[in-house]
Amino acid sequence: MKVLKLKKQYLKDYLHVLRSWGEVYGPVKQEDKYVYDLLDDLDKLDTRMLRTILPAKKFLVPPRFTTFTFKDHTYEPELNNLPNRVVFGVHPCEIHGIVILDKFFLERFPDPYYAERRRRTAILGLSCVPDDKCFAKSTNTHFAEFGFDLAFNDLDDFFLVWVGSSLGDDLIRLKLELFDEEIKQSDLQKYMEWRAWRDAQYKLNLDLTAMPDIMELNYESPLWEKLGEKCLACGACSMVCPTCPCYNVIDQIRPNKTEGKRERLWDSCMYKQFALVAGGHNFREKRSQRVRLWYTHKLKAFITEFGKAACVGCGRCIDTCPVEINVKTVVSELKGGK
Amino acid sequence: MSKLKVAFYNLSGCSGCLLSIINCEDSLLDIFNAANVVSFLMAQSNNREEEQDLAFLDGSVTTDEQEEFLLHLRPRTKKVVALGTCACYGGVQAMENAKGTFERRFEKVYGKTPFTIVKAFESKPVDAVIPVDYYIPGCPIDGDLFLYNYARLLKELPVDMPKTPVCRECKWQENECLLLKNQLCLGPVTAGGCKARCPSHNLPCIGCFGPADEANLTSEFNLLKEKGYNFAEIERKLRLFGGTKFINSFRELWKSPAAKNQKTQLRKG
Repeated sequence: MKVLKLKKQYLKDYLHVLRSWGEVYGPVKQEDKYVYDLLDDLDKLDTRMLRTILPAKKFLVPPRFTTFTFKDHTYEPELNNLPNRVVFGVHPCEIHGIVILDKFFLERFPDPYYAERRRRTAILGLSCVPDDKCFAKSTNTHFAEFGFDLAFNDLDDFFLVWVGSSLGDDLIRLKLELFDEEIKQSDLQKYMEWRAWRDAQYKLNLDLTAMPDIMELNYESPLWEKLGEKCLACGACSMVCPTCPCYNVIDQIRPNKTEGKRERLWDSCMYKQFALVAGGHNFREKRSQRVRLWYTHKLKAFITEFGKAACVGCGRCIDTCPVEINVKTVVSELKGGK
Repeated sequence: MSKLKVAFYNLSGCSGCLLSIINCEDSLLDIFNAANVVSFLMAQSNNREEEQDLAFLDGSVTTDEQEEFLLHLRPRTKKVVALGTCACYGGVQAMENAKGTFERRFEKVYGKTPFTIVKAFESKPVDAVIPVDYYIPGCPIDGDLFLYNYARLLKELPVDMPKTPVCRECKWQENECLLLKNQLCLGPVTAGGCKARCPSHNLPCIGCFGPADEANLTSEFNLLKEKGYNFAEIERKLRLFGGTKFINSFRELWKSPAAKNQKTQLRKG
């Protein structure tokens, strides 16, 4: 992996250059929160952001999009006119989230809609400093070693820029003269000091050792009933989770027309209809069963299947759930805390 | 296949839902060409009352004349669709539903006037009078959802309304959660499909699409109580649009002895 240096004052110049490859998105302040938005004006970019309301998954699987249009007996996939996009400011935990989405959407049953958006989206990572809701160090997702095209590590007056893919290399070459290819011993020193300092900033540390065992032992715990009573089943946790991939499919038809479109919409296992099948049978009728499923998926099933949790410690559930059902509170209760 | 016979009627309400249909300007010709529209007072002349496949009813039932109309309509109509929150749940005018104060309120406004032409009573939803096959709530209804379901009905498919909470689309729009900003938002207990119109303008949800598939009213109450709202304020907000449906949900909810205790506690708080 190649590493370069970029002086901070050149960042906006470089992002401007990237517009020749695709639309440039980045974190923008919106009232008290941040969102990834089109940087039509580069001054809107705010690199102090911690977490955006929706994760970068919205670029790879939009909340609602058309998969194909149909007319009479033919159909046309909506894959041809997708724009190239650069998403700048993706934190390491979110890059891990994308790697998890890749497993889901690209491995066993490759999804062409995801694959095409993924191919056309350049992921430009950015280092971060945690707040009291981040626990990426506990999930071992506080550094990203792959899954990005470029990764920017903020070291005061310059960025160390990791090149993570051949696309990343192409993007650097769009304006190589902005970068400094010579990394000095002092730069390495500075980076190592930064790492040690940053890692010490995690205030929220969860011990997630052997979570599958703990989940299994708690399968019949009265905790789930308690959480089921409290859960609003609003589904906000799954919408904001960087690793939740579930969706529903509907066919939009129009009156008096033999044409229409097939759409995909983000769905959530927190909703009652999610496990409803023909004949009116529902596999998870009760909220308690649904809350349990979500946590079993994140903290047990995914580990058993892929060797790591489907939680990347971004803290969005902590930041989002109005009734404080989140990985922090649930893990603590599962382990017998309050 | 011959075209289905379709009728649109208005009972007591602002007719905003029928107007929302007429506002679907790009699809207006399709709406009328796709079916044989036998009655739509707001949109066409030469309306006739006959046997029909589909009837869309907008507005709530507030007079004996409307009751009689519905009782005559039902046998000559294959499928009845309640259109908008008034028809589905009683609407704003049903907010005092089940309190038994109609006569007192009527007298306060009109004095001791006897009923002459029609007899009025507390507003009620269409299904309080005749069986309703499908519900398309909203105040007003969402034009896209109407077109989608109208097309489905004409293909003799059942109505497909989102029953998941407003929070789903609210998150899609990347709105900050108004509950977390301590506002009295009914998003989690209200059915979506509205594209989260109010929260997207920084206004808390007031429940106009009626209850979500699984409205956890107890948890919503507890949460709002923690935020400093009292029982009466929350109930008033729920009654505003949810009228009959929410209040009936309450009754179910508060039936068990444990829930009764909880209700007493909530009131005390």
